[in-house]
Amino acid sequence: MMIEVLFVLIVTAMATSLLGVFLVLRGMAMVTDAISHTILLGIVLAFFITNDIRSPWLIIAASLVGVLTVYIIELVSQTRLIRQDAAIGFVFTALFAIAIILVSKYAGDVHLDLDVVLMGEVIFAPFNRIEIFGLSIPNALWQLSIILLINITFVLLFYKELKITSFDPKFAYIAGFSVAFIHYALMTLVSVTAVAAFDAVGSILVINFFVAPALTAYLLVKRMGTMIMLALFFGVLNSVAGYYTSFYFDLSVAGTTAFIALITFMIVFLFNPNGWVSNRVQKARQKKQFNRAMILMLLNEQSHESLTQEEIMTHFNLTPKRFNRHIDHLLVNEYIEKHNEKYRLTRRGVEFTHYTRIKYELPA
Amino acid sequence: MIDILSGYTFLIVAFGTVILAFASGVIGTVSVIKGQSLIGDAVGHATFPGIVIAFMLVGIRDTFALALGALMLGIIAFFIIQLITEQSKITLDSALALVLSSFFGLGMALMSFVQGNPDFDGTQGLSDYIFGQAAYMLRSDVYLIIAASISSLLIFSLFYQQIKIYIFDPIYSRSIGISNPLMNFMILAITITLIAVGLKAVGAILIVNLLIAPAVIGQLWSNRFFHVLLIAGTTGAAAAFIGTYISTAGDDIATGPAIILVLSAFVILSLIFSRKGLLSRSIQKRKAGERT
Repeated sequence: MMIEVLFVLIVTAMATSLLGVFLVLRGMAMVTDAISHTILLGIVLAFFITNDIRSPWLIIAASLVGVLTVYIIELVSQTRLIRQDAAIGFVFTALFAIAIILVSKYAGDVHLDLDVVLMGEVIFAPFNRIEIFGLSIPNALWQLSIILLINITFVLLFYKELKITSFDPKFAYIAGFSVAFIHYALMTLVSVTAVAAFDAVGSILVINFFVAPALTAYLLVKRMGTMIMLALFFGVLNSVAGYYTSFYFDLSVAGTTAFIALITFMIVFLFNPNGWVSNRVQKARQKKQFNRAMILMLLNEQSHESLTQEEIMTHFNLTPKRFNRHIDHLLVNEYIEKHNEKYRLTRRGVEFTHYTRIKYELPA
Repeated sequence: MIDILSGYTFLIVAFGTVILAFASGVIGTVSVIKGQSLIGDAVGHATFPGIVIAFMLVGIRDTFALALGALMLGIIAFFIIQLITEQSKITLDSALALVLSSFFGLGMALMSFVQGNPDFDGTQGLSDYIFGQAAYMLRSDVYLIIAASISSLLIFSLFYQQIKIYIFDPIYSRSIGISNPLMNFMILAITITLIAVGLKAVGAILIVNLLIAPAVIGQLWSNRFFHVLLIAGTTGAAAAFIGTYISTAGDDIATGPAIILVLSAFVILSLIFSRKGLLSRSIQKRKAGERT
């Protein structure tokens, strides 16, 4: 039965990270964050009417509020009186505040636990089951699988449109694509997915499931098709790792998965071929090569044909340790030779500096 | 009405929220003008694990320790955001979403550890942290808010000229020897401090509104930086006072959300009626139309 929790988590991760790719490419990550907060208002409103936390009306109402949030944010930023990021921050907190007042005012009469809505707990998913084709499966798994299928269908059907409107909305508009339709269709699906996932991962962490795998993939590849595949892969990877870690240490499953997503991202960020570490290593190597070339160039000048250690060190402002490292390298490679405590170029060194001058485009 | 206004709880809460809102309004203006208003949101969420860690270490619900933990994690989050945006092609928007949700996840994981562990007791619910619990504010909480707000405003006024130049002309400010990264960090550190001390009053998510909305109002009414700051601070403080009054007078209305709703009403009114607002814009358009 516990393994069903993992299935719910994986399906959630796939449904969200598939759409997350487009959110990241369109720079809408924080808009999604706003949606994931404001759907609470929809949930609360629908819950007051239906009084049933499992009612499908909850999903519909919450999704409507999600799309409405996007619409209000756009309406406000289109007046050009408020910048978009300020509009996001102001609109979603205001709607969220309304939801909280409603809950705190009427929470005594109805049973709606805010902690569960905000945090979600995928652990409880298997308790709520549904019969499908004579098979008893968790309700969340059923719901999220349908949403995953809808999302996949949407992406397959509108792949070209999504691609063009994500990368070059102006061209897409001129070329006759309905940018607004794709935009609102995407945001509707994001809202629906976020609402369905709030049960499992909570309304705040769902943003992590949307963007973290997509961003990790974004670091690695340039093609959109591969990015989608990689994002799905990272989504599943984070879910599996998060699931087993949380069971081992007895932690919140969704919380652990979200933090592991950051760890995955940071590992890729630091160690990918164009990542932080390889950039640092490359810079250090270039600096070393440049320093050595400069020492050789100095010795190649007529007035400096043979120099003592002291002279070279003061010229380049080198520490003894660094000097020794450079000079040892140059000695071993026979670019320079030591003669009466003075260093001078060998024939090989002279040739090397000649090529260095050409390489750095200096007069030979 | 008089007995509410002179009630002890009301005075304590109102005093704390008004000063906090004033300071947040002033400091938040800088981030809003720089287009970084959502950093406050990200950092606000990122303080959550800090609170849980502080609770695990200190063991008691000491507001100062919790605020300190929040501050530390907020700063760590800020540095990770900066590292990611500067060293890769990932935009600020995405980096914020990633860091805020991951840190929040860490907080939840730690929280579940604390709650499942008999060594720790007296944990507060998550909702207290997210929505604040102004009604339970103590005198010491208010002192902390006052200390943090006044020192924030003091630092702000000391570096007022530098901050102003840094905001409006970063290239010039660098050329006259102002360290832009240092300025950026200072503003963020002040913002995080205000968020950390404001957690109990309005909660982690809603304090974002206190940082953004007053600045938006200020910008709608004036173009002069000093006036914007003044308007932002004052409207923030006014909203805090009215919001606290509403929540004390009405029953079961949480203080944080009440303040935010009052502030949001101010924003909507300003959007329509301010000098640069929609109403005067449409009047101008009509006049222009008549002339041609």
